[in-house]
Amino acid sequence: MFNEEEAVKKFKFRTDFIGNVILFSFFIILARLWYLQIYQGERFYKFSLENRLRKEVIKAPRGMIFGRDNELLINNAPRFDVAIIPQYLKERKQTLEKLSAILEVPVKNITRTLKKNRGQASYRPIVIKKNISLREVAIIETENYKLPGVRVQTFISREYQDGEVGAHLLGYISEINQKQLPKYKKRDNYNYKLGDFIGQAGIEEKFDLLLRGDDGYEFVEVDARGRKRNVKSNLLFAGIKNKKSKPGNNIRLTIDRDMQIQAYKSLEGKVGSVVSVDIQTGEVLAMVSRPSFDPESFSRGIKADYWKSLINDSRNPLIDRTIQEHYNPGSTFKTITAIAALEEKLVKAEQEFLCGGTFRLGRRVYHDWKRNGHGWTNVYKALKRSVDVYFYKIGTQLDIDVLAKYARMFGLGSKTGISLSREIPGLIPTREWKKKRFGEAWQAGETLSCVIGQSYVLATPLQLAMSYAAIANEGKLMKPLLIKEIFSNDGDIIETFKPEMVSQATIKPRTLKAITKGLYQVVNEPRGTAYWARGKGLLMAGKTGTSQVKSMTKKELFSKCSEMPYESRHHALFVAFAPYDNPKVATVAAIEHGCSGSGAAAPVVRDVMTTYMNKHHPELVKKNMEIEKRNFLREKRKREERQRLEEKKKEQEQQQVEQLG
Amino acid sequence: MNLRFYLELLKKYDFSFFGISAAIFIIGVFNLYSATHASTTSLSTAGLYKVQIVKFLIGVGLGFIVSLIRPKNFFRFSYLSYFVVCFLLALVLVLGQKGMGAQRWLIFGPFRIQPSEIAKLGAIFVFARWYARSKLDNEIGLKKLIMPSILALIPTALIVAEPDLGTGIMILLVFFSMTFYCGLKWKTIGIIAVIGLLCGGAMYEFGLKEYQKKRITAFLNPGKDARGSGYNAIQSKIAIGSGKFIGKGFMKSSQASLNYLPENHTDFVFSIFNEEHGFVGSLILLSLYLILLYRYLWLASAVPRVFDSIVVIGIMSLFFWHTLINMGMVMGLMPIVGLPLPFMSYGGSSLLTFCLCNGVATSISNSRNLF
Repeated sequence: MFNEEEAVKKFKFRTDFIGNVILFSFFIILARLWYLQIYQGERFYKFSLENRLRKEVIKAPRGMIFGRDNELLINNAPRFDVAIIPQYLKERKQTLEKLSAILEVPVKNITRTLKKNRGQASYRPIVIKKNISLREVAIIETENYKLPGVRVQTFISREYQDGEVGAHLLGYISEINQKQLPKYKKRDNYNYKLGDFIGQAGIEEKFDLLLRGDDGYEFVEVDARGRKRNVKSNLLFAGIKNKKSKPGNNIRLTIDRDMQIQAYKSLEGKVGSVVSVDIQTGEVLAMVSRPSFDPESFSRGIKADYWKSLINDSRNPLIDRTIQEHYNPGSTFKTITAIAALEEKLVKAEQEFLCGGTFRLGRRVYHDWKRNGHGWTNVYKALKRSVDVYFYKIGTQLDIDVLAKYARMFGLGSKTGISLSREIPGLIPTREWKKKRFGEAWQAGETLSCVIGQSYVLATPLQLAMSYAAIANEGKLMKPLLIKEIFSNDGDIIETFKPEMVSQATIKPRTLKAITKGLYQVVNEPRGTAYWARGKGLLMAGKTGTSQVKSMTKKELFSKCSEMPYESRHHALFVAFAPYDNPKVATVAAIEHGCSGSGAAAPVVRDVMTTYMNKHHPELVKKNMEIEKRNFLREKRKREERQRLEEKKKEQEQQQVEQLG
Repeated sequence: MNLRFYLELLKKYDFSFFGISAAIFIIGVFNLYSATHASTTSLSTAGLYKVQIVKFLIGVGLGFIVSLIRPKNFFRFSYLSYFVVCFLLALVLVLGQKGMGAQRWLIFGPFRIQPSEIAKLGAIFVFARWYARSKLDNEIGLKKLIMPSILALIPTALIVAEPDLGTGIMILLVFFSMTFYCGLKWKTIGIIAVIGLLCGGAMYEFGLKEYQKKRITAFLNPGKDARGSGYNAIQSKIAIGSGKFIGKGFMKSSQASLNYLPENHTDFVFSIFNEEHGFVGSLILLSLYLILLYRYLWLASAVPRVFDSIVVIGIMSLFFWHTLINMGMVMGLMPIVGLPLPFMSYGGSSLLTFCLCNGVATSISNSRNLF
C-alpha cells in the first residue's frame, strides 16, 4: 500500500474549500430567510392571516358547431353557479341562513353538501346550487359583503339552437364522472378534474379534444372585503404568471339545417330515424332520430326527474337510431338480391316468371305479401311491386355466400366508419358466420328469408342510405362524411375533410341501369309500391321495405297491421335516391312499428328530399316537373285510350246483343 | 478478550453523529406533530409522528449495528454491495412493470424497501473504493473520469427509469462531490459544465416540442399538479415569511391547518417549521445542520485511510445536497423536486438511509482510536 496518510493530507486543500462552499450555501439560505421573514415578513404575515391570494380558473370557451351553410347550431351561453369556499366561510350560521333565503334552498341541504365535500382542500369551492338565475346572481353579488366565503362562479354552457333536433348527432356535454375520470386521464393524457365538462355523445364526444380549449388561470388578490384586484407583478410574487384561456376550435358540419329540421318535423309522433347523404361525396346532409332529448339540459346539470324520464322511457330516447339500431332491411334488400341475380346471370332483366301467391320449398310454403300473386313478372316488375315469389325463385339458385359478397360490396354488414361513437355493424349472414354463431350448417330455406331481407339480415339506416347512394353512384361506396372543416377561433382553417371512397363495387353499368329502372318504377308508375308518395319534381328511385318484428302465422300475415298490438307491428322502411337520372341525394327513413314502408316511411323521405331539391337544385325540380307532366299526360292518354277501347268493346257487345236480339 | 474490546469501544464510541441527528430529529418530530395534528381534512396523517418515532428507533438500531462493523469491511464488500444494489434496482423495474406493487418498492414479507435509497450508500462505497485504489498523484482529468462515470451512471439510469429523477440527480451530485474531493481538475469541471449547459439548453430549446417541455416539467413533479406547482411555491413562501422573527408559535401554523401546503409533512416541513418558529428557530436548526456537516468534514480530514476519508465526504455531501435542495425549494430558490429534509421530513426509507450513513461514519470515527 502506498502512503495513505500522505494522500489524505493532500486532500486537505479541498476539505477547506468544501467547508467554504457549505458556509456560503448556508449564508445564502439565511439571507433568503432574512428577506422573507424580516424584510417582507409583515406583508407575508398579513397574507397568511387573510389568505388573500386566490387562483381562479378561467374556463376556455368551447368551440362552436356550424351547419354546412355556416348556420350556428351550437353556441355558448354563460351559466352561473353559487359556491362556498369553506376556508373563507365565516359567521357560518348567519351566512348559511342568508344564502338559503336567497336561493330558496333549506340550510339543511347546504350543510349536507358541505359535509359531503369535507374531504377536499378547503380552498376548493363547493358548488351549492347550479344554474342560478340572473336575479339571484345580482342579489349575491350586491350582498357579497354579508356573505363571506360565498361566491358566484361563471361557466359557459352550451346552447343548442334547434333544441331536440339532431340531438343524437350533435351529442351533449356533461360533467365527467368518477368512473370516467381515471380512464380519460390516461386516454387523453390530460389532467381532468371532477367538475370538468366533457362531450358524452355525438360530435361533442368524438371531437371533444378539439372543441375543448385550454383553460387558463389567474391569480387574484382579495382584499379584506372580498373584492378582487389583479396581482401586480412584484418581487414578492416573482414566478407567478397568469395564463389566458385558449378557446376551442369550431367545427363546420356537412349537415343541412333545413333538411335536419324538416326530417325532425316529418318524424313527429313517430319512433324512427332519417338519414340523408350526398351521393357524390358521401356528406351526411341530415341525420335525425326520434324520440329525442334536450341536450341543453345535460350541460346545465341534468335534473333528476328529467334523467329518470329519459331512462325509463321504453322507446329509449337516448339511442341514436341511425347508427345504434339495426333492422331487417326487408324488401329494401331485394335490390341487392336483384343485383346479385343479374350479375351472376341467374336471370335476365326481361326474363319473366309466373308468380302465384305461394312458393313451395320442400315441405314449407312461402307466402307472397299479395295473396293472389302478381302473374308474369320480370325484374322491373319484381322491384316495382316487390314480388316476393320472384325473389324466392332466385333464392333457390343463389348461394348465401354469393349474396353476402354483393351485400358487402355495398357496405352492408360492416361499420360505415362515420366519425361517431358506438356505431353498430349490422349483419350479413354467411355459412361460416352461422357455423360460428350457432354451430349449425346453413339451411336452404334460410336463404329464402334472407333474399327478401328478413331473418338474420340486419342493417342500420345509415348503411342503407350509403348502399343506395353507391347504387346511384356507379358502385362507388363512399365513407359518410360529417365534418367539412375545423377552424380556429381566429378563423384559421385547421383541417378540411375530403370525400373518401371506401370501395368500388364491381358491377356492370348495365345491371345498375336495370336496377335503377326498376326502382324508378316503384315510385313513378301507377301500382308501384311508393307511387302515392312520389312528390313533385323529385323523380325518385327507391324501394319500400317492411321489416317483420316477429315471425307470423298465415292469419297474422294477412291481417291488417294497424290492428295488431303496437309491439308486433312491422317496421316501415323506405330508401331512395333522386333524381333517378342525375342522382344527387339518397335518403332513408326507418319508422319503428310504422306498418308499411309506403305509408309511413316514404312520405318522410319525400318531404326531406323535396326540401333538399328545392334548396339546392331548383332547376332540376322544374325540369322534373315537366317530365312528370308529360308522363302524366301520356298516362292519361293511355287511360283514355283504354277507356275508349273498353267502350268500343261494350258497344260492339251491345251491337252483337242487339243483332242477336 | 471480546468483552474487553467492546467495553473499550463503548468508552471511545463517537456519539456525536447520532447525537446531533437525534437533536434534529426531536425538533422534526415536534414539527411533524404540529403539521399533521392541525390537518383537519385527512385523518390518516394524524398519528404519523408515532410511526416516525418507531422508524427512527429502528433506523438508529440498525445504524448502531453498522457502526460496529470495521471500516475495512466496507472496503472489502463495496463492489458486492454495489452489484446487489444494481440488481435490486433492476428487479424493481422488472417487477414494477409486471404490476407487482409500486415501482419504487420491493416487498419482502412485511418489509418494504426502496432500493434507490440504499443505492446511495452502495454508490458511495464503490466510488470511494475506485478513487482509493487509483493512483491519485495527479489531479483527475477527463480520461480518468470515464470508468467512475460508468459506475455512477448505471444506478442513476436505473433510478431515473423508475422514474425517480430526484434520487437520480442526488447520486450524480454525490458522485461529483466525491470526485471533486479527490482532485477533479478545475479545467475539467469547466469543460463538463459548458458541455452540459450547451447540450441541455439546445435540447430544451430546439429538440423538444411545447408539450414535451410540459411533460418534462410534469416529470420533475410526479404525482403533483404540474400547473399548480407555482401556487404551492407561493404558499410555501407565504408560510415561511409569515413566521417573521420569532414565529407564530408551536401548533399555530395557519398555512398547514388550512391545508394550503400539500405534503406539509414530507417535502414542506421546513416551511411549517419556519412559520411556527420564525427566523430564530431556523437559525437554531441551521446551526445543527451546520455542526453535523462540519463534524463530517472534520472526520474526513482526521482519518488516516483514503477510502474512509472519501466515504465520509460522500456521506457529508449526501446530507448537504438534501438539506440545500429541500430548503432552496421551499423558499422558492429552486424548482420543486421531491427531496426530503434529513431527519425532519416524514418517511421511513430516507430516515433509514441517513441513520445507516451515521452508522458508517461512527464506525470510521471509532476506528481512528481503536484499530
